[in-house]
Amino acid sequence: MYRYDEFDAAFVKERTAQFSDQVARRLTGELNEDQFRPLRLMNGLYLQLHAYMLRIAVPYGTMNSKQMHMLAHIARTYDRGYGHFTTRQNIQFNWPKLRDIPKILEDLASVEMHAIQTSGNCIRNITTDQFAGATADEIIDPRPVAEILRQWSSLHPEFSYLPRKFKIAMTGSPTDRAAIRFHDIGLQATTSALGEIGWQVWVGGGLGRTPMIGKMISGFVPHEHLLAYLESILRVYNRYGRRDNKYKARIKILVHEEGIDSIRQQVDEEFAQVKGGVLHLPQDELDRIGKYFVEPAYELVNETRVDVAREKILNPLYGRWLEHNLHGHRQPGYVSVTISLKPIGGAPGDATDAQIDVVADLAERYSHDELRVTHEQNLVLPHVKITDLPAVYARLVEHGLAEGNAGQITDMICCPGLDFCALANARSIPLAQEISRKFGSPERQAEIGDLKIKISGCINACGHHHVAHIGILGVEKKGTELYQITVGGDATEQAAIGDILGHGFIAEDVPAAIERLVDAYIARRQSPSEPFIDAFRRIGKEPFKEALYGNA
Amino acid sequence: MEILTGNELMSGATVYLDREGRWVEELQHARVFNNDEVEARDAAIAATKKTLRVVSLEIETVTLSDGAIYPDRIRERIRAEGPTAPRFDRQHLDEDGHVSI
Ligand code: HEM
Ligand code: SF4
Repeated sequence: MYRYDEFDAAFVKERTAQFSDQVARRLTGELNEDQFRPLRLMNGLYLQLHAYMLRIAVPYGTMNSKQMHMLAHIARTYDRGYGHFTTRQNIQFNWPKLRDIPKILEDLASVEMHAIQTSGNCIRNITTDQFAGATADEIIDPRPVAEILRQWSSLHPEFSYLPRKFKIAMTGSPTDRAAIRFHDIGLQATTSALGEIGWQVWVGGGLGRTPMIGKMISGFVPHEHLLAYLESILRVYNRYGRRDNKYKARIKILVHEEGIDSIRQQVDEEFAQVKGGVLHLPQDELDRIGKYFVEPAYELVNETRVDVAREKILNPLYGRWLEHNLHGHRQPGYVSVTISLKPIGGAPGDATDAQIDVVADLAERYSHDELRVTHEQNLVLPHVKITDLPAVYARLVEHGLAEGNAGQITDMICCPGLDFCALANARSIPLAQEISRKFGSPERQAEIGDLKIKISGCINACGHHHVAHIGILGVEKKGTELYQITVGGDATEQAAIGDILGHGFIAEDVPAAIERLVDAYIARRQSPSEPFIDAFRRIGKEPFKEALYGNA
Repeated sequence: MEILTGNELMSGATVYLDREGRWVEELQHARVFNNDEVEARDAAIAATKKTLRVVSLEIETVTLSDGAIYPDRIRERIRAEGPTAPRFDRQHLDEDGHVSI
């Protein structure tokens, strides 16, 4: 688990005091909005449709129970009793008042949290695999490196005014659960021919108005040179990234316009200068940071298998939860548990203060005081003993957190959309709710299998719709909300951007349209074990287009 | 026809300029500016900016039906009522959130 070092503590304290003063000056009118706005954004405070929104960083999605309890406290004390977990592995509060923000930031600082670099044209919170440090399929735990990157990028003077925001995602496992090919920089752990572990570096991925799949800029960068290499990329971007046009300012456009080979050459030139200098990362530093992430003191347990089939007979709902919401752990006798924040008909990613407290308790009691936020807007208890599963499940049931739908059609990503967001064209949450209700029965979900629906309320694509198996994008046409449907996107290592199939639908018609796509898939799959995305790759988009629009 | 709307500084709550020059919560109390009242509208905007207390100031087009104000954009209708899903009441002004020009 990352520790705030002294630098963080001092800095966050200073920044909190500074911002309190800025808020006070804003309230007295000493600062006007034009002066204040950039200051509040630097502290994660946005103004949305109905109120302010505070976005709190959760470094690489990891928290302890004390921090989680503090989020519950904030929800209860300063907000409306809930928080919204987002695809950026962080949390947003939708109703805070300006005068309370300094108090909230102080409360956060008391548990080593803050809202810095959650907005603006800087390097944003680094995201990673929600199962990092626990999953059985990992080459290396990416969190020590993520922490080093966090320290390097925190308030980096050279990179506080980049042409545009900059997002880095990383995974220590060959299975990409962090959508690294859709970030400005994606890092994937890999092993060299000599058996040395290092990083494959992808650059220029992104979603938004111009979705792009990242391109591999280097097949192998050893740990010790990673900072120098990333700094080289950032420098090339900082120098050539387009500042003239906000829509062309992301590194994806630079990579696209210049070509990856030319960018690689420039980065290599820069790297030759920077390499081995102050950004050299010696093994002992890596080891020092690594100590913050020591493996929990696992117990040796006799029971190392979960008999899902048996449990399904005894208690189908529990069996279903076991089937979908567990992930294999590297330690025998342990699993990682996904806590779905997608109850049927609910708002994806929302959790009440009471639920946040319950998850904090569970993390403390059953998961070595650790929990994670996933980019799919769920929570994870990373290290749970198999023998503790019944107790964990029972507690989740009591608090409406036991939906066994991880990875299923009702486990949707959904942005806040026009119900909250000032940039939105159309609502997204009510659509997610309708679709969830339509496909809510466990039988129907089991029939459909793994299928990812993702919804964004505008082209900024905060809801990742481009990389959904079935994506939904809200647009506005002559004052009505319309929804475009895409098919065939994929956020994993088989990265793909979905294709728009045709004209948009009004909200009422979307759930039925999704059903036609689902039925077209079921009718054409080779067997129930062929997932939607595999069937799509095999048969292409035509059958889906026909399902939506007929032959005409 | 147009109305003026914005968010009150302290609470962030949606507010409308009414006929008495107060920034109030109720959409139906908003002053409706006809097309020939551009000067009055712009003067109200300028006076509001001086207060420093209303942010995200916008001019919204509306239609009147049976005397009721109906904003043309869905966005505005949602701003007036609060989110539709999950359904929440709109943000309200605090005691000291009442601004006049
Ligand atoms: C509510 C206030 C929000 C605002 C003002 C906002 C703004 C934006 C903008 C302008 C972009 C496009 C950036 C570009 O292409 O240059 C964007 C992208 C994105 N945002 Fe948001 N967003 C908001 C909420 C969220 C939420 C709630 C999430 C997580 C659920 C999120 C996650 C993302 C992601 C993942 C992307 C696309 C990845 C990329 O940067 O290419 N945002 N956002
Ligand atoms: S995708 Fe658009 S509507 Fe959704 S949160 Fe992002 S900016 Fe807002």
